[in-house]
Amino acid sequence: MKEPEGIAPRERIKNAADFKKVDVIPWCESFYEDTLVKFFSEGLPAHEIINIEWEMSLDGRLLANWPKFMGFDPHSYFGCINYMGCAVPVDMGPIPRFKQQRIGENAKYEEYIMETGARSRRFKKEMGKITWYAMPQFLEFPVKDKKSWEQYKKRLNPEDPRRYPKDWEKDGYLRLFDGYQKGPTMLVITGFYGFGAELMGIPNFNLAFYKDPELIEDMVSHWEYFTIESVREAVETLKDRIDMVFWWEDLAEKHGPNISPKLYKEFLLPHNKRVTRFLNKNKIRRIMMDSDGNTQPILDLVIEAGITGHWPLEVNSGMDVRNLRKYYGNKLFLAGNLDKREIAKGDEAMRKEIDSKLPLMKETGGYIAGLDHLVHVEFTFEKFKEYADYLKEKLII
Amino acid sequence: MDDILYKIACTLANLENSNNLGKLMRGALKEKIPILEILEKGLRKGLNEIGRKYEAGEYFLSELLFGASMMEDAMKILAPRLKAERLEKKGQIVLGTVRGDIHDIGKNIFKMFAEGTGFEVHDLGVDVSPENFVRMVVEKEPEVLGLSALLTTTTPEMKIVIEELEKAGIRDRVRVLVGGNAVTAEFGKEIGADAAALDAVQGVSFCREWLSR
Repeated sequence: MKEPEGIAPRERIKNAADFKKVDVIPWCESFYEDTLVKFFSEGLPAHEIINIEWEMSLDGRLLANWPKFMGFDPHSYFGCINYMGCAVPVDMGPIPRFKQQRIGENAKYEEYIMETGARSRRFKKEMGKITWYAMPQFLEFPVKDKKSWEQYKKRLNPEDPRRYPKDWEKDGYLRLFDGYQKGPTMLVITGFYGFGAELMGIPNFNLAFYKDPELIEDMVSHWEYFTIESVREAVETLKDRIDMVFWWEDLAEKHGPNISPKLYKEFLLPHNKRVTRFLNKNKIRRIMMDSDGNTQPILDLVIEAGITGHWPLEVNSGMDVRNLRKYYGNKLFLAGNLDKREIAKGDEAMRKEIDSKLPLMKETGGYIAGLDHLVHVEFTFEKFKEYADYLKEKLII
Repeated sequence: MDDILYKIACTLANLENSNNLGKLMRGALKEKIPILEILEKGLRKGLNEIGRKYEAGEYFLSELLFGASMMEDAMKILAPRLKAERLEKKGQIVLGTVRGDIHDIGKNIFKMFAEGTGFEVHDLGVDVSPENFVRMVVEKEPEVLGLSALLTTTTPEMKIVIEELEKAGIRDRVRVLVGGNAVTAEFGKEIGADAAALDAVQGVSFCREWLSR
């Protein structure tokens, strides 16, 4: 199942995001690893997607031709593109990391300290049984107030040399990025809502906008400084060799955005604008927001902030590329929005979903095809293949 | 009297701070306004207005949470007198996230809002087995059983709970409300729930509607 012939997928993505003409609409998906494991049991040929590289050294020992398992590459097999196939290696996490460790367990659950410092619990894995992906239950977050934020802030020093790989060297990375044509070169940034919610938990973070606006102001100011200064070296070195920014935000749920347009305007907008202006100044103009849920009430402000694209556009939350295109025209490139529930059914339901959206997207451009979230375990291998085959045929202009 | 109750309702609905609301509450108590009046014509009227604004898209999650938190602060002022007056609750809700699912944000928001509205909520937590739901329905005799699930992989558990209620012969004694990101109105109908809530406010509205009949 090879990808369509023609220009390289990397160029296709760039052209689609720029509303330029494409020969084939690019198709991007992300897979839960659990789904791939399920696909294996349903006939996905493992040897065709397991990625093995030959290493000369392992754990400091010199070895000759030692095979090293690198992971799965289902994208080439199905003919779709991986958004994260080539990510700029800037570590935006807390440094030093919290040591991820198990701190307790009972018959059913295991309790963990996560790398972000949050305490969580999740179901215990049973031997021989696949535990499907699920977010853990968060029990405690590292930032609770001004004092704990000041402590945490020490781990968000953009100048820490560990933010870049030890072998960071301009020309080498330029060659590496130029050599990768299977997809976009992506810089991943965590937007302020995602950043704060991860540190405080959704309820406390949302409440803090009202109960402790000074804390929020301090957090967002530091977020802006931390983001710009952490990526500065990569952005000023690589400039438009970085094809796209993946702006993870997750600021909405089914009912609508978690924060109001008023709060977005007051707290996020000025800082977001400064981050996107910095990117734009360095010729990086494709900035795609990743947020589930219904983001529509704040999309005008998101666009004003400098975001130029949006993924995954969850149908279950009322997002629809046809309405968004009508309303926003070429101010926003759109990605995803094929209803995973309908597509997973296969047959007529799958074809109907694709046929109801693709014609307009082909006509108006500015679209990257894909599901309205990751490929979930509800897909069978057969149904996903059926979807891949039908979609690829329809993507050709 | 109506003036101060109106101010309490507006202060809450407009999300002014808890200090202002506290001052008004203490003023109302000083004027010896009955607790029930303060609750119904002041606080709950304000909370209902927050719910209305949320449904209308004027308020969002932050506003909903802040409103519920102001209500919680206000209830602390009334707490000592509430015990003395033994005010009746509007009804009881047994609530939990279904087996296999440990998500609780939506459930907790619903709980805050339902309690603010005057329901007594028995929260069973997350990953609750069907047997446990049935046992609590028998024990507490609630008017509503609220089932929450975030994942599409765990929504089938909701159907199992309903089937277990039927097997136990108590399905007709309790209204079943389902909610969570993966839940749709069609799904609710399909599994035989009495209603599917698309958000916390809508869920509480269903409960109020059932209890007012």
